[in-house]
Amino acid sequence: MAGLLEIHNLSKSFDTIKVIDDFSLEVVEGTLCCLVGPNGAGKTTTMDLITGRIKPSSGKVVFAGQDITAQPEHVIARAGIGRKFQVPAVLRDLTVRQNLTVAFSRQTNPFWNLFRFRSPGLERKLDEIATLAGLTDRLGERAGILSHGETQWLEIGMVLMQEPRLMLMDEPIAGMTESEIEKTAAIFKELRKTTTLIVVEHDMGFVREIADVVTVMHMGSLLAQGTIQDIEADPRVRDVYLGEQEAA
Amino acid sequence: MGNLYHNKTAQWLAYAAFFAVLAIVPMRIDDDFLLNQLATYGVYGMLALSISLCWGFGGILNLGQGIAFGLGAYGMAMTMQMQTQTESNPIPPLMLNNGLDYLPMLWWPFANTGLGIVCAIAVPTLFCAIFGTIMFRARVSGPFFAIMTLAMLSAFYTIILDRQAYTGGVNGITPPSPLQFAGVEVDPYSPLAYWTVFFALMIATVLAKLITQSSFGLVTQAIRDDAERVRFLGYSVAGYETMIYTIAGLIAAVAGCLWVMLVQYVSPAQLDVGFSLSMVIWAAIGGRLSLVGAIVGAFVIQGAQSYLGDTFLSTWLLILGGFFIVIVRFLPNGLASLLEAALGLFATRKPKSSAESNGAEPVPAE
Repeated sequence: MAGLLEIHNLSKSFDTIKVIDDFSLEVVEGTLCCLVGPNGAGKTTTMDLITGRIKPSSGKVVFAGQDITAQPEHVIARAGIGRKFQVPAVLRDLTVRQNLTVAFSRQTNPFWNLFRFRSPGLERKLDEIATLAGLTDRLGERAGILSHGETQWLEIGMVLMQEPRLMLMDEPIAGMTESEIEKTAAIFKELRKTTTLIVVEHDMGFVREIADVVTVMHMGSLLAQGTIQDIEADPRVRDVYLGEQEAA
Repeated sequence: MGNLYHNKTAQWLAYAAFFAVLAIVPMRIDDDFLLNQLATYGVYGMLALSISLCWGFGGILNLGQGIAFGLGAYGMAMTMQMQTQTESNPIPPLMLNNGLDYLPMLWWPFANTGLGIVCAIAVPTLFCAIFGTIMFRARVSGPFFAIMTLAMLSAFYTIILDRQAYTGGVNGITPPSPLQFAGVEVDPYSPLAYWTVFFALMIATVLAKLITQSSFGLVTQAIRDDAERVRFLGYSVAGYETMIYTIAGLIAAVAGCLWVMLVQYVSPAQLDVGFSLSMVIWAAIGGRLSLVGAIVGAFVIQGAQSYLGDTFLSTWLLILGGFFIVIVRFLPNGLASLLEAALGLFATRKPKSSAESNGAEPVPAE
């Protein structure tokens, strides 16, 4: 079975520095893949390459059988890839409700949107997502005043409103409290039943809890891939990453 | 109950009241000159409205709105000039005086009144669509876009000034008689001219308001907030930016046509940098986040200029500059935010978790 997302021999250099070096990855539909690795391993850069924010020097990205390499960001998003950023990016001047409404992007044509004042199916979807993200009481608030954890959930909620086939989550639990992390883990376990996810995360406890497959990156290349047990038993991984963390 | 200022129904009622007041004016005034002057303020109001739409809602600072206004004005002046040419005298004097003894192709469409007015509006709009597409596709934004519009404005100014045989150069075009439209003469000093501007301003305002409330308007405000984020939601940011910039250009082009209808005159001064900057100042003082606020800003500043400008002469510019500094420092969202704050005093703080209405938006949506 072919993967929903296939990355073939991807490379990216900034000047003479190779940030991503011949990296390949296949993500099977309906799985949750955790992308881990030490700082500077190229995790966020890989996300940037998948979503079109930066263009690769060589290699290609295939999503659902369609070559999306170096397409503009909005085209890739429309193809069905949603993304949560490392630094939570929400629309701070708009309300929580407006944030979720904008993210419900079934109709993206600027001309037709001039004549649209409500979107069919929006209210139901919005209620569902707001409940899932625990933001029902905050819908009227300006997104800029939300707490850090709520901001993270709002952005996760926005990605869900997009109804993507593949979700890229860059450090979704950074800065969350223990109870918030538990709640997020529960949300992710729910999500992986219906969608495909790639989660970049440092917290190995969280990874252990949610991951179907773990991919370890080091110096821009694939170091190891497998279940969490395989990865934790792999001596190379211990050297570059887990060992380093335990020592710290 | 939230702040009445953010209530959509209250906003529409305020708009209705605003235009009702403007509609009473011609019944109260029998000074033709004053009526004409008030109508020109209406044109300035349309310009401020277009800036509010583009800058306030779209976040695109446009220092070259004079391009659309000026091109619209030239198109209308050319149309009105051609209306006074006859079979025996087909060439406008401005060409004959500059040694041109035939009608240049540039002027051909303006020999037909309908086609001329369509061109006067369509050419600047098309220019905005093309220039916007080129700029926004390349992700030129913020101050860089503002500088590009300024450069473009100066280029148009220079070309019009330089091509004297085609444009009348520094003297511009002065059509000798009022606009004839559908068999009616639109005397600039008549109530008819005032009503024409009134309806144009009202229609533009209502459409602009509807645009800000549409899905398009919401996405546009989201882009103002964080264009990068919106791109990853699947929206073509360049498409939205081009659209709002072009709509603003269209409003300014119509304003240009109406202005020439009122003053029977156009010159490169309409593409002067200073004039385009004043449009931004009107919107900033009135409140760029409020459509009506921006219009009122234009009325207040131009009204003050007409009356105080004569008294204070060049000191007026110092007064205006000082006023502008005070506004930017203490009321960054203009005079409209005074109203917002005043109405906020009456708003009762709603208890948390109470059902909130769709109309209550803490975002500046007025």
